Amino acid sequence: MERHLLRITVNGQEHELYINPKTLLVEVIRDHLGLTGTKRGCETVSCGACTMIVEGMSVKGCSVLAMQVDGLKVTTVEGLEDHGKLHPIQKAFIDHGSYQCGFCTSGMLMSSKALLDENPKATIKEIREGLDGNLCRCTGYNSIVRAVDAVCKGQYREDEA
Amino acid sequence: MKYNIINTHTHNIDGVAKVTGRATYTVDVTLPGMLYGRILRSPHPHAKIINVDASKALALSGVKGVVTGKDTLGVKQGIWRRYSELCDEQILPLEKVRYIGEPVAAVAAISEEIAEAALDLIEVEYEVLPAVYDAMEAIKKEAPLVHEGVERNINVTRHIEWGDLEEAFEQSEYIREDWFKCSGQAHMCMETRSAVASYTPEGKLTVWTSTQSPYYMQALLAGVLGMKESDVRVIAHYVGGGFGGKFELDGAQFCASVLSMKLFRPVKIVFTREEDFIASKRRTPMYYYVRTGVKKDGTFMAREARVFTEGGAYTSMGATALYLTGFFHSFPYKWQAYRYDGYRVYTNTLPSTSMRGFGAPQAQFCSETQIDIIAKELGIDRFEIRRMNGHTTNYEVPGQATIASCGLEQCINKIEEWVKSRGKLPANRGIGISCYGFMSGGIFNWFDTPYSFSSAVVTINCDGKVDLHVGCQEIGQGSNTTMAMICAEELGVRVEDIRVHSGDTAECPPDLGAWGSRQTLMAGNATKMAAADAKRQLLEFATAKMGPNIVYDLDIKDRWIHLVARPERGIDYFELVKEALRGKEGQRIMGRGYYTPHRKGMISPAYSYGVQALEIDVDPETGKISLLNCVTAHDCGQPVNPLGVHGQLEGAISMAAGYGFLEDLPMEDGKILNPNLVDYKLIRAPEMPETEVIEIETYEPEGPFGAKEAGEGLTNPTAAALSTALYEALGITVKQLPITPEKVLNALREKAKEA
Amino acid sequence: MKYSCPVCGKMAKTGSAVDCARHMFGTGDKAHRAWFEAQGLSYIDLLLSQTMEPGNKAYVTVAELLEKNLKE
Repeated sequence: MERHLLRITVNGQEHELYINPKTLLVEVIRDHLGLTGTKRGCETVSCGACTMIVEGMSVKGCSVLAMQVDGLKVTTVEGLEDHGKLHPIQKAFIDHGSYQCGFCTSGMLMSSKALLDENPKATIKEIREGLDGNLCRCTGYNSIVRAVDAVCKGQYREDEA
Repeated sequence: MKYNIINTHTHNIDGVAKVTGRATYTVDVTLPGMLYGRILRSPHPHAKIINVDASKALALSGVKGVVTGKDTLGVKQGIWRRYSELCDEQILPLEKVRYIGEPVAAVAAISEEIAEAALDLIEVEYEVLPAVYDAMEAIKKEAPLVHEGVERNINVTRHIEWGDLEEAFEQSEYIREDWFKCSGQAHMCMETRSAVASYTPEGKLTVWTSTQSPYYMQALLAGVLGMKESDVRVIAHYVGGGFGGKFELDGAQFCASVLSMKLFRPVKIVFTREEDFIASKRRTPMYYYVRTGVKKDGTFMAREARVFTEGGAYTSMGATALYLTGFFHSFPYKWQAYRYDGYRVYTNTLPSTSMRGFGAPQAQFCSETQIDIIAKELGIDRFEIRRMNGHTTNYEVPGQATIASCGLEQCINKIEEWVKSRGKLPANRGIGISCYGFMSGGIFNWFDTPYSFSSAVVTINCDGKVDLHVGCQEIGQGSNTTMAMICAEELGVRVEDIRVHSGDTAECPPDLGAWGSRQTLMAGNATKMAAADAKRQLLEFATAKMGPNIVYDLDIKDRWIHLVARPERGIDYFELVKEALRGKEGQRIMGRGYYTPHRKGMISPAYSYGVQALEIDVDPETGKISLLNCVTAHDCGQPVNPLGVHGQLEGAISMAAGYGFLEDLPMEDGKILNPNLVDYKLIRAPEMPETEVIEIETYEPEGPFGAKEAGEGLTNPTAAALSTALYEALGITVKQLPITPEKVLNALREKAKEA
Repeated sequence: MKYSCPVCGKMAKTGSAVDCARHMFGTGDKAHRAWFEAQGLSYIDLLLSQTMEPGNKAYVTVAELLEKNLKE
């Protein structure tokens, strides 16, 4: 099986990998680069546990081939914190108890960040719709919505610097 | 009662790990030399295994081994260890398969792709046998037997009775009968079943797995593998959800272990989502017959219930679900006479087992739906009829339980207030209500453990930081945080001073695990006892140093050891610890705690209560239901971790509402038709209603700081509240779960016909 | 016509055949089940029909049998 060269920037770091062209983006992230913060929860692009950000857009890592993001910038949950300083959305999640088992959390955080970057003053309705692609079995979603809403309302402004 | 830490807004202590991607779940575990395993599953619902030929698979480059039942000891295991006739499951069966999806063989290879390809190369010769899918068909004389010698496929029967039922019916002035069908439900944990098993030449097995009870896994694995428990180590640091589906031995754990023992290499097996749907167990579907007799003034007199549950192919935790559904069907009301007969029937379908609520959501759905109809027909207010018959503190459920703390009446009052405040609702809208009561852990030792049900060890190190070792399992419900809070409160330090160790049988004391709503009460009691022991040792040293009149004159609060009467006189906790250790020849101060309930009735040491109101909107054209608001008044004794309780409530609503109107596992000829997340419908963020929780504080004498469960009981009322909301909104009743748009439209048509 | 239970002699509620059938069925102990078997009925099949179908067919079946027995 002929391997293809993949050039990809993940969390600000450039990587070069030779991969089977059928490899999914999430497989490159988890298995090749060892960034296991991103999870997988289904085979039908339904659960959102593998959500990451590609060039500013939230993307389910299981729905694209890695080669489709050749040359592009990817952000995963590991890229949110900065030298131990948590991103506002991460702080908001902790304050609001927006995770329980934590398996959907990475995907929720990335969907939330993509939403906030695009629409920093999102309404509750817009937040709920923005999280429509992410399943959670533990929290019932409302604590996640409250966390994102708190960031929208500027409660973590000093952390955004 | 105001505490320093109990019932304060406390961050979950696993927070940083979970929001930064540092938390490693079983699926993230990688070991040197690790192989990837996949399981070959039966395509038949009932068949004899004639022969398994793995030669072609073994010849595939990269395949290291294939195992079948022949590679095992053939032990029939089950979680009800005390009753050998209920230990009926060989995870890799030797003689026959009993449901579509049952494991038949497992392969280990150097990559997942190769393991997957190898499955197609394993040739299995089956002799297909006649199968039976429905409980009511399976119980007929002519039905094929799922298990040899089990007459009529009746796996378990349960009977609960008190009072003189006939007398009570005779005194009743209004009697009504109803028939209900309750569906199954998939646990649908975000993390599928998974395990990494590593067997090494010293004869020791280590298994990383996603489980609700590492201790159960350790004991069950030892049993089926012929090993000593202590040579098996189970590690579960982070678990992606359990909900009742992950405390039995499953195919991932068993097959990975068997493969690793054969190959002396770590083997990782992770279920696909489809496998998780078809081959992990499900909530128990039930047929319910209820006959209830009341007086014209609404006094509850007599109730008899007959229930058939669809057991699927194996017992699993079905025996408990069978008992609890009958027990909680009487809750939370006082009945002069009650009779429950339950029958669990084997079928050639996915085994049914425990799932959050454990038979009580089904019981509540049937009970509350009927009660609302009775209230309406007698012209009695639906709150009043519940209030007048509800449990009260010190009530004894005859022969079963004594209710030591009960805030039900206050809960009813609060919900009545809220419903009234909503005023007159627009058309097609209704607010349904449901009461419930639930257990805080079970008393019955069906696992046959010789250990205490919960244990804890508190160790104070020289820098004053505390290591808390507990066996209770964190699966997302927040038990690590709850135990840290209880320990910190009791010892008199802060939550950040505690490091919790859990999820490792080699490091932690045994504990029955996270199921049956037991951990806050049972592990909490053990933790409190251990902390009190450690505190006492520290205070003995403080007494010698400070010279109070008696040791009880001293206390520790917020890292300050002081005289209770003169709190300004004291010593810093960290300073004292340093001195105390030197005074004890450098030995760390260790406190031990344990808890096993005894002489507390038949079921549980304590019961939580609540009332839930659910406001819905129904589209009469499409039958579609929208959830608008959900308010719950809730008695969990003394709430320990309020952020956790609120989270549990909202999660419970999404799961229980899903059970009420969205989630279903339809089958055709034993095959699940929707084993994926496109076709299996779950509530998503836009569909979740706004929620409010009203805490009713009571004091449960048996619980740590007066606490009892919060999390499973909350799953009981929502399907019932949805049903009664429909009745309020449109005057129709759907007695079959889930309440789909189709069923709503059918009920509307029936109603129009009758008019 | 008032019916007493042929197994334990108890007269249930109004004493009608259906009420007697309901009593016998509801008691469900070995002795009462044995009566069903002796009549060529299967207790479990009756239980099945009672739990599955609205309409109390099971009670009616037993009531009719009681009436028939009395006539004989």
